[in-house]
Amino acid sequence: MEAMLIDCVQSSLRQLMYHNAIFMCERLCAEFPSETNLQLLAGCYLHNNQAYSAYHILKGTQLAQSRYLFAISCFQMDLLNEAETALYLANDPNAEVPNGAAGHYLLGLIYRYTDRRKRAVHHFKQALSIDPLLWAAYEELCILGAAEEATSVFGEVAALCIQKQHRSHEVANQNSQASSEDDNLVSGINFGSEDVSSRDVRHINAKIMRDIPRNYPGAVMSGGAASQPLNGRAANISFYSTPSPMAAQLSGVAPPPVCKNVQPNGPNPNAVNVDGSPRSTVNSTIQAPRRKFVDEGKLRKISGRLFSDSGPRRSTRLAGEAAVSTNSSTTTVTGNGTSHSSKYLGRSKMSSVTFHSVTVRKGQSWENESFEEGIRHEVHDDSRSNVTTSSSLPSGDLRSIEQEVATMPAGEVVMSSSRVVTGASEVLALLRTLGEAYRLSCLYRCQDALDAYLKLPNKQYNTGWVLSQVGKAYFELIDYLETDHAFSLARLASPYSLEGMDIYSTVLYHLKEDMKLSYLAQELISTDRLAPQSWCATGNCYSLQKDHETALKNFQRAVQLNSRFAYAHTLCGHEYVALEDFENGIKSYHSALRIDARHYNTWYGLGMIYLRQEKFKFSEHHFRMAFQINSHSSVIMSYLGTAFLALKRNEEALEMMEKAILADKKNPLPVYQKANILVSMEKFDEALKVLEELKEYAPHESSVYALMGQIYKRSNMYDKAMLHFGLALDLKPPTTDVATIKAAIEKLHVPDELEDTM
Amino acid sequence: MATESSEGEDESKMVGGNQQLMVEDDLREMANKAAWSVSSCKPGNGVTALRDDNLDTYWQSDGAQPHLVNIQFQKKVKLQLVVLYVDFKLDESYTPSKISIRAGDGFHNLKEVKTVELIKPTGWVYISLSGNDPRETFVNTFMLQIAVLSNHLNGRDTHVRQIKVYGPRLNPIPHQPFQFTSREFITYSTVR
Repeated sequence: MEAMLIDCVQSSLRQLMYHNAIFMCERLCAEFPSETNLQLLAGCYLHNNQAYSAYHILKGTQLAQSRYLFAISCFQMDLLNEAETALYLANDPNAEVPNGAAGHYLLGLIYRYTDRRKRAVHHFKQALSIDPLLWAAYEELCILGAAEEATSVFGEVAALCIQKQHRSHEVANQNSQASSEDDNLVSGINFGSEDVSSRDVRHINAKIMRDIPRNYPGAVMSGGAASQPLNGRAANISFYSTPSPMAAQLSGVAPPPVCKNVQPNGPNPNAVNVDGSPRSTVNSTIQAPRRKFVDEGKLRKISGRLFSDSGPRRSTRLAGEAAVSTNSSTTTVTGNGTSHSSKYLGRSKMSSVTFHSVTVRKGQSWENESFEEGIRHEVHDDSRSNVTTSSSLPSGDLRSIEQEVATMPAGEVVMSSSRVVTGASEVLALLRTLGEAYRLSCLYRCQDALDAYLKLPNKQYNTGWVLSQVGKAYFELIDYLETDHAFSLARLASPYSLEGMDIYSTVLYHLKEDMKLSYLAQELISTDRLAPQSWCATGNCYSLQKDHETALKNFQRAVQLNSRFAYAHTLCGHEYVALEDFENGIKSYHSALRIDARHYNTWYGLGMIYLRQEKFKFSEHHFRMAFQINSHSSVIMSYLGTAFLALKRNEEALEMMEKAILADKKNPLPVYQKANILVSMEKFDEALKVLEELKEYAPHESSVYALMGQIYKRSNMYDKAMLHFGLALDLKPPTTDVATIKAAIEKLHVPDELEDTM
Repeated sequence: MATESSEGEDESKMVGGNQQLMVEDDLREMANKAAWSVSSCKPGNGVTALRDDNLDTYWQSDGAQPHLVNIQFQKKVKLQLVVLYVDFKLDESYTPSKISIRAGDGFHNLKEVKTVELIKPTGWVYISLSGNDPRETFVNTFMLQIAVLSNHLNGRDTHVRQIKVYGPRLNPIPHQPFQFTSREFITYSTVR
C-alpha cells in the first residue's frame, strides 16, 4: 500500500496536481509515518507554496534531506536564523552540509541576507567547488564583488570535477549507494518560476534533440518523433528509474526494483501487478511524461538563457537526493521522475517569491542556472528498470546518450566518459564567457563586459538575459540610446521576462520618453502584477510626470512585493528626496544598502542628501564609497568633485573633474562644474574658456550663459554680461533662475547709473 | 487688519475663476507639511475641508470678520502662488469678496503682501504673490495668512472650498547656481 500511495503522490506531483498530491501524501504519512514520507509531504507543500506547512512538519528532523527541505521552508518564511541552524550545525562544524552544493548555496544566501559577507562568499565558493556548474553561486559571488575570474572557476578543474562526478555516479548507481556527489550535482538554484511548458514548446522546436539527456531518450524522440521502440525501451528504463528512486527513498526502503518500476505510472495501476507486462503499458504512459521531462531537459539546457525555473530542478534534485541516499541514484535529473519534474515545476512557483527576489535583484536571470540544471540532468538515471542492474547515467551531456541509450541493454544507460568530457567542456566554455562578462559588469568595467558578451555565439547572445545584461552595461556607460536599443531587443526576444526591466524603465526616465515608459509600465503590469519591476516601472512613469507622491506609492508597493529587491528601496529614497523628506529618504537608502552594499546609486543618493543638508564631510564620504564601487562613472566623479568644492578643497575638486571629463567626453556636467570651481577660485579667464567650449557642445543650455553672464559681471564687463543674461533668459530657464538672472540684470544697471551720474 | 493698500501693494480686481486647476510645471504645492489653522469654524466644516481635494466640502467660518486661514511652515519657504476655489453660484453670500494675503515670521509680524477683490468668482482663483521687481518673484516666509475681509452681499461668514499654495521646485542638483534646461545636461546630471 505504501508503494502505491507513493506512486500516486509522485504522479500527481508530476502532473502538477498538488492538491491531490498533498491529500494522498497526508494519507501516506498517517499510514506509514517515516521521515522519508515526511520529506515527500514537505516537498508537496513546498510545491504548493505552503512553506509554512513544510516548516511545521519538518521541524526537528535530522536527516540531511529533511534538514535541507526545512531550511528551504525557513528561508521562504524569512526565518533565516532557523534556516541557518538547520544547515549548519554549529556544534559540529565539520559535518557535511546537506545536499552539498545546494546546501552551501542556500547557506550562502542566508549569510548574505544576514550581512555576513565573508561567510557567504566562503559558502558560495564551496558550492562552486563541489558543483562547478552552479551558476547561481557564481552570480552571487559577482554581486558580492568577490568573484574570481571565470576562466579559473569554469576551467580545467571544473571539467575534471564533473567527470569525476559522473564516474562516481555510475559507480554509485551500480552499488546502490547514496552518492553524495549527487548532491553535488544538484544545483541549489531556485528560479523564479517560469512558464515551463511554453518554453518547452519553443525549445523543442528550436533545439536539437540531442540535448536531451539520456533519460529522456524516449521523450526526446517523441518530441522529435524518432526511434520509438528503442527510445521507448530506454524511456522505460529511465522512466522506471526515475520514479523508483524517489519512491524508494521516500519510503525509506529499498523497494524491489520490479515493483517500483512498475509503479511510476500512476495512471497505470495495472502495471503494478505485473512485473513484466507493465513495460508496454508503461511505455505509452511514459511517453507523455517523458515529453515533459524532455522539455524540461531541453528547456533547461537550452534555455540556459531564458528564465527558466530551476526551482523545480532543485526539488527534483531534492527528491533525487532523497532517492539517492537510499538507492542509487538518479539524481534529480530530469529523468527522475515525474516527481522530480513536478516538483521542479512546483518548486519554481514556490521559489518564485524568495528566490525570485534573489534572482531578480540584480536583474540577473537565473536562466543560467537552469542551464546548469540542464546539465545536471545528468541524469543519474537510475535505471532500475525491472532489471537489477542500473547504471547511473552521468548526465550533463548534451549530446550523448540518445544513441547510446539505444545501444544499452535494457535497463542500463551509461554515459560514456568521452561524452561527458566534451559535454562538460562545451558547457564550461559557455559559462566561462558568461561568467567573465557578468563579473566584469558587476565590477562596472562595462566596456570590457560588453566585449566579453560579444564573444558569445549569436544564439546565446540573442536571448533575453544576455541582451538585458548588455543593456545594463550600456546603462552604466550612460549610453542611453544604446541601452534603449538593447533592451528593446531583449523585450522582443523574451517579452514575458521581467529581469532588468526596472533598469529599462530608468533609462526611459532619463531619456524623458514618457510614451514609451508608460507603455512599458502597462505591459509589465499586465504581465505580472506581483513583480517588483512592474511597479518600479510605473513609479518611474509617475516620477517623470513629477507626481512624486504617486511614484513613491508605487515604489513602496514594489518593496512590499519583494523586500529583498534593493533597487525598489533606492527608488523610494529618490522619491523621498524629491519630496524633501530627507529622513525617510535616508532610511530607504539604508535599507537598500543592507540588501546590497554594492549598489552605488544608493551611496550616491545618500551623498546627495548630505550635500543638500550641507553636511559636506558625510556627503564626500558617501560619494567616495560610490566611486570606489563604480570607478568609471563620470557622474559620480563629478559629484565627488562637487563635494570637494563644498569642502573648499579646490585642487582635489579640479583633479576629480578632470578625471570625470576624461572618463566620458560626452558628459557636460563635469565641464560645467569645472567652470564653477574655477569661478570660485577666481580664475575667470579659464572658466570662460571652459564655458565657451561647453557652449559649442550644448548651445541651448541656459545655465551656461547665465554663468558666463555672472563671470562677466564680476569681471566688470557689463555689456557682455547683459548679452549673456539675455541669452540665458531666452532659453527659458525655470522661474527661480529667471528671478536670479533678472535680479542680476537689475544690479548690473546700478554701476552704470553711478557712472552716468558721475 | 490691512484692508486698504499699504506699503504700495495695490488692490486688484479679479473676475471669474477657472474650472481647471492648471499650474506651471516648475511650481509645486508647498503646504502639505505645513500647519493649517483657521480663526473660527462651524463644526463639520473645519479646516480639513480646505485640504481634502474635495470641492464639495468647504470651510465655513463662525465668528467675526476678518476670517483668517493661517499656514505655518517648519522652515522659511519661497512661495509664489496661492490658489483658492470659491464659487459664487453655490455659496452666494458666503463667497469671499475681499482677500488679503499676509506673510511674516509669526502672528506678531505679519505684513500684507497682496490684496485682491473678487467679483462673483466661480472656480479656481489664482493669486500671485510676486511683486513687480524680479527680485520679488517669491515671498520667502515662515508663515502665510489668508484673510477674508468681506464677503459678497455683505455676508458675515464665508465658505472656501479649497486652498493650495505653490512655490518653486528645488534645484535637483544642490549647490548649483542655475538649473539645467537642455537635455544633454539633464541626462547626465543625476544618477537614479
